[in-house]
Amino acid sequence: MGRFIVRRLLYMLAVILVVSVITFLLMHAVPGGPFTREKSLPEETIKILEKRYHLDQPLYVQYTSYLYAVFIPHFTTTPPNAALSSQDDFLLNVKIGSLWIRWMNFGPSYRSRGRTVNDIFRDNLPISAQLGVMSLIISILIGMPLGVMAALKQNTMLDYLGMGIAILGVSVPVIVLGPIFVWVFGITLKWLPPTGWAAKPPFFLGFLPSNLNWEFFQHALMPSFALGLGSSAVIARLTRASLLQTIREDYIRTARAKGLQERVIIVRHAMKNSMIPVVTILGPLFAALVTGTFVTELIFGIPGMGKYFVTSITNRDYPVIMGTILLYAVFLVLANLIVDIMYAYLDPRIRYD
Amino acid sequence: MANTNEVEPKSVGARDTLLTQKRESLGQDAFRRLMRNHAAVVGGVIIIILILLALLAPWIAIKPFSEQVLVDQNKVPKWLVSVFPSLEPYAVYSNDYPLGADYVGRDLFSRIIYGSRVSLTVALIGPLISIIIGVIYGSISGYFGGWVDNIMMRIVDVLYAFPSLLFIILLMAFFRSPISDIQPGTFAYSIKELDESLGGMFFIFIGIGLTAWETMARLTRGQVISIREKEFVEAARTIGASNARIMFRHILPNIVGPLVVAETLAIPGYISTEAFLSFIGLGVNPPTPSWGSMIADGAKAIRTYPNQAIFPALALAITMFAFNFLGDGLRDALDPRLRGTQ
Amino acid sequence: MRKMFILLSLLVVFSMALSACGGAAAPAPSKVLTTNFLSGDVPTLDPAVAEDTSSIQIAQETFGGVTHLNEVTNAVEPGLATSWDVVDNADGSQTITFHLRNDVPWVRWNGTKVEKVQNCDGKDRMVTAGDIAYGIYRNQAPANASPYAYLLGFVLKGASDFNNGKSTDFASVGVKAVDDQTLEMIFMSQVTYNVQLAGLWVAYAQPKWVIEGDCSGKVVAAGEKWIEPANFQGYGPFTLKEWVHDDYISIVKNPFWPGSEAIPQPKLDEVVFKMLDEPAQLAEYEAGKADHVSSVPQSDIDRIKADPALSKEFAISPQLCTYYYGFNTKASVVDDVRVRRALSMAVDRQSLIDNVAKGEQEPAQWFARPGLAGAPTIETHPDLGIKYDPEAAKAELKSYLDEKGVTADSLELTLLFNTSAGHQAIAETIQQMWKDTLGVTVKLTNQEAAVFWDTIKGKDTPQIYRAGWCLDYPDANNFVREVLAVNGSQNPADEKGEPTGGFNWKNEKFEELVAKAATEADLAKRVELYAQAEQIAMVDDVIMIPIYWYTNLDMTKPYVTRTYSSSGHEAFEKWDILPH
Repeated sequence: MGRFIVRRLLYMLAVILVVSVITFLLMHAVPGGPFTREKSLPEETIKILEKRYHLDQPLYVQYTSYLYAVFIPHFTTTPPNAALSSQDDFLLNVKIGSLWIRWMNFGPSYRSRGRTVNDIFRDNLPISAQLGVMSLIISILIGMPLGVMAALKQNTMLDYLGMGIAILGVSVPVIVLGPIFVWVFGITLKWLPPTGWAAKPPFFLGFLPSNLNWEFFQHALMPSFALGLGSSAVIARLTRASLLQTIREDYIRTARAKGLQERVIIVRHAMKNSMIPVVTILGPLFAALVTGTFVTELIFGIPGMGKYFVTSITNRDYPVIMGTILLYAVFLVLANLIVDIMYAYLDPRIRYD
Repeated sequence: MANTNEVEPKSVGARDTLLTQKRESLGQDAFRRLMRNHAAVVGGVIIIILILLALLAPWIAIKPFSEQVLVDQNKVPKWLVSVFPSLEPYAVYSNDYPLGADYVGRDLFSRIIYGSRVSLTVALIGPLISIIIGVIYGSISGYFGGWVDNIMMRIVDVLYAFPSLLFIILLMAFFRSPISDIQPGTFAYSIKELDESLGGMFFIFIGIGLTAWETMARLTRGQVISIREKEFVEAARTIGASNARIMFRHILPNIVGPLVVAETLAIPGYISTEAFLSFIGLGVNPPTPSWGSMIADGAKAIRTYPNQAIFPALALAITMFAFNFLGDGLRDALDPRLRGTQ
Repeated sequence: MRKMFILLSLLVVFSMALSACGGAAAPAPSKVLTTNFLSGDVPTLDPAVAEDTSSIQIAQETFGGVTHLNEVTNAVEPGLATSWDVVDNADGSQTITFHLRNDVPWVRWNGTKVEKVQNCDGKDRMVTAGDIAYGIYRNQAPANASPYAYLLGFVLKGASDFNNGKSTDFASVGVKAVDDQTLEMIFMSQVTYNVQLAGLWVAYAQPKWVIEGDCSGKVVAAGEKWIEPANFQGYGPFTLKEWVHDDYISIVKNPFWPGSEAIPQPKLDEVVFKMLDEPAQLAEYEAGKADHVSSVPQSDIDRIKADPALSKEFAISPQLCTYYYGFNTKASVVDDVRVRRALSMAVDRQSLIDNVAKGEQEPAQWFARPGLAGAPTIETHPDLGIKYDPEAAKAELKSYLDEKGVTADSLELTLLFNTSAGHQAIAETIQQMWKDTLGVTVKLTNQEAAVFWDTIKGKDTPQIYRAGWCLDYPDANNFVREVLAVNGSQNPADEKGEPTGGFNWKNEKFEELVAKAATEADLAKRVELYAQAEQIAMVDDVIMIPIYWYTNLDMTKPYVTRTYSSSGHEAFEKWDILPH
């Protein structure tokens, strides 16, 4: 298993490299540049700006210096001084003796002067991650019981009702559901704050809300629900389908024949095996929840990462595009690695070596 | 649905051959059982009706989808006020519009009817792409395992992590610009023409196609891995069945359930991809209506004129229900282990 | 099943518990006004490199220029300078000497309150002429690559060369701190708006000691991070308290701002700007969590106007921007002025405003929006420019069609706009008007902004394209000359002065008129010169279809007293919250 994980992590590096090349070439191929404005800038100003961000160098030089800044650890005796230059901000700074090991400089943001991609990671990513985790919890809490109930009462009213709720959840897009939530619970009933996110930097351990209190949950409830509802339907229906298949397996029949309690059969035998397809979907689902929060964040006014996936592209903010897309790639690859490990755990017949 | 043909095997898995005596084909059997599932039949009927609506739109819609009567903008029919009483103070009535008029005075009802064309096309093309590519790819990867699996899955990883949004924007920026570097007769020109003739749907297909099949491939692979070690596959292997035979006759029929479910569940995803692209302004070309773009437009006015978002959303929801129930029925019908049961 | 039930009941209890604690927010201890910016982080608070409305808004409240523009009338008022002397030099240049007040200290938020900043000797740091010169230096320094360096670059002696790196000596730039209270600026020409430009954000004072460090290392250089709340120092009526990126910015009253008639001491204690998308802004406002909403979504206007309470809080005020469709006067079909005139006269601007734009905008007859210094107004020039006239439009087109022997529906026309629902609605409406009145079918295409702005200035500028212009400084020159004239923002030209894209237009008479108007001292004569220039561009040559003059739609709670700005930046020092 250990070797398997190490090997997969090496693969991951390769995937990231390939994604970075493709993204880099694509974003430079897209017409329009980072300094295109409604009130166009004089050519001289654009030249100065391009020089400042080394955009006047050949593409391969830009790419290799990007790789160097991001992937190669820097060993230096000068302590980090992020204040002095937005081009000198590393995500990881470790001090050993008088030597500094500094790693992962994702570069400056062109749009926000004085802010770096690492700043965005530090300030905004944790919020999206919190929203993603909350949504995933909500979707599992809703989806799994619905799916199990529907499977056990197959073709009864309960089945139809459960699945009906699940389908409804996935059929109403967040674009509609979100404003309705805000309208009903935020403005008319005034139960919940209509917009905002209670946790703000600095975060506990770098990503956890430092105020896990009522205020936090109050703000988190509506967006996590709106975002998680669609995924809960996916989970519910997969759980149902998979459980239906499992409970017809021989070993379940055997268990029944042995006269085991139905509850024990379902929980101990059927559930575990029927989780495989569900787990498959959880990884990408989580990644999608964390990174696909654009619309939810816009509707609920949440200062997360989601909008950078879209605005960085529309602004042609190259380092932010690279940063967000690499982050997205890392997330997905990691999620899939976890899925594979879960496979092995859930189905002992699967062995990786 | 398109995928019934795709996965319909001529005979059944080894294990089932031992268990059943009747030599009725799985297809006939599946259809018989599908027809017995009422929810699935209703779903199927709704989809047929929707397809008819889309085909017969010019005759059913009461107005052309692009006809604007500016002074009629945001008008609502009388009956709507009893559904949404909040409209009362400011609504301007006109019963010429069964569901109301939109922000530039176009008939919502007619636009929903025409919009079904885009949404249904997206709903059919998405599964088609993901099934053709995804299932074949996933089963090969899962079945052979080892380094084949590793390489194939890493390719999927790359594509999965691939910035498809960036790619769509690039394509649109290039092909949709009026800058006439694109000469008639070239490949690029025919793509531009194709996109225009599809009302701007072509790049939505590309966007969906880029991401759709990878999930399917992954899921298929997972299923194949869990099944390839089962006794009946071992048995088939012992009696010298070819790889292709084992895959298509023994493994695929056994994993089709979760795949169909996943695919019908993915359809809302495809349709909302379309809605999302419309939301950020990269959807179909105006004034071609699509449910996604209508929802995206209407959602901005949802508190003032809820009908403008809710009716297209309702159309979307009904379609989802239909696809899901049909998918469910198909799942039950295609599961070989349920064969011959009532 | 039982578990499911328990879960459901838990959810019910959970939601009830929530409803119980909702609305229990503590009452505000002081006068805190909550308003908003659009979604997305404010790009910078550094006046040297600021380029967008929200950045400039904060800079204007936390710093200030030598002169100040009244947010309502746009008249020039004293800022840091109490008076100034203008001297016209023989070589055509102009020297302006600003006499600064000596009672404005630098301040910072120390985490609990606003305090004065001390220099290395422990004395209060006051704003000096040197600080302003340093601000201009930072704006022009090539290393800072300021997008708005050209504002001063156009007028200030030597600034452009310094910015381009042709000269590395800042002393060659026409700005000099004679002493702490005297700032001398040399402008290249004797145009009337030099005084306005000298007071813009690009010439605000900046704290060199924070940015570069001082007191032999005791004040650590903060570099580009000097605008973060921990480092920030300012001197305006407010100062920065908090900046949670992508979430909100809050500024607090600066009690040490001496106050003047133009820029009084603020009555509010704090202003919070939340960064929210338009619908979210309105939701916050309606939920009672914001006191002001800076823009109102067009789709909600019907409901707001019909609501007895909200309609009273809703206000429409003029905004100095113009919405227009430009022509590429050298592109096929629209290279004939009759087609352009027909298209312009066929647009029913009032109907568009009433039914689609909905903000009680004013139908535009020409480009420079009334309210700008030197711009004609509808009162004095009711018949200037172009108006909706369907019959005349038909006649113009018919003359063209007859001459060419073609039919209206055979004309191939394309309108390009940048992707946005609002622009699309307007484009769809005007497309219909052209079809109804003229029988021409214009194809609509859109491009995302990052490509669009290059396209409409490039060599392949489409036949018709959407655009808009908002003021940089409130003078007609900023519109008529800096946009329309050769080498204007929407009319690029090569070195020889031949147009290369955009309007693709050159008219010697027009150039002469706008050049003359820039230096004309007599206001009435200036207005006439601009009126003549507008007539050439709008009617004789029809290089654009002026559509409407902007308004600003916003909502303020009834307990707030305020002024309505036409420049796009509010003067919060004049706002107040009444007891309620």
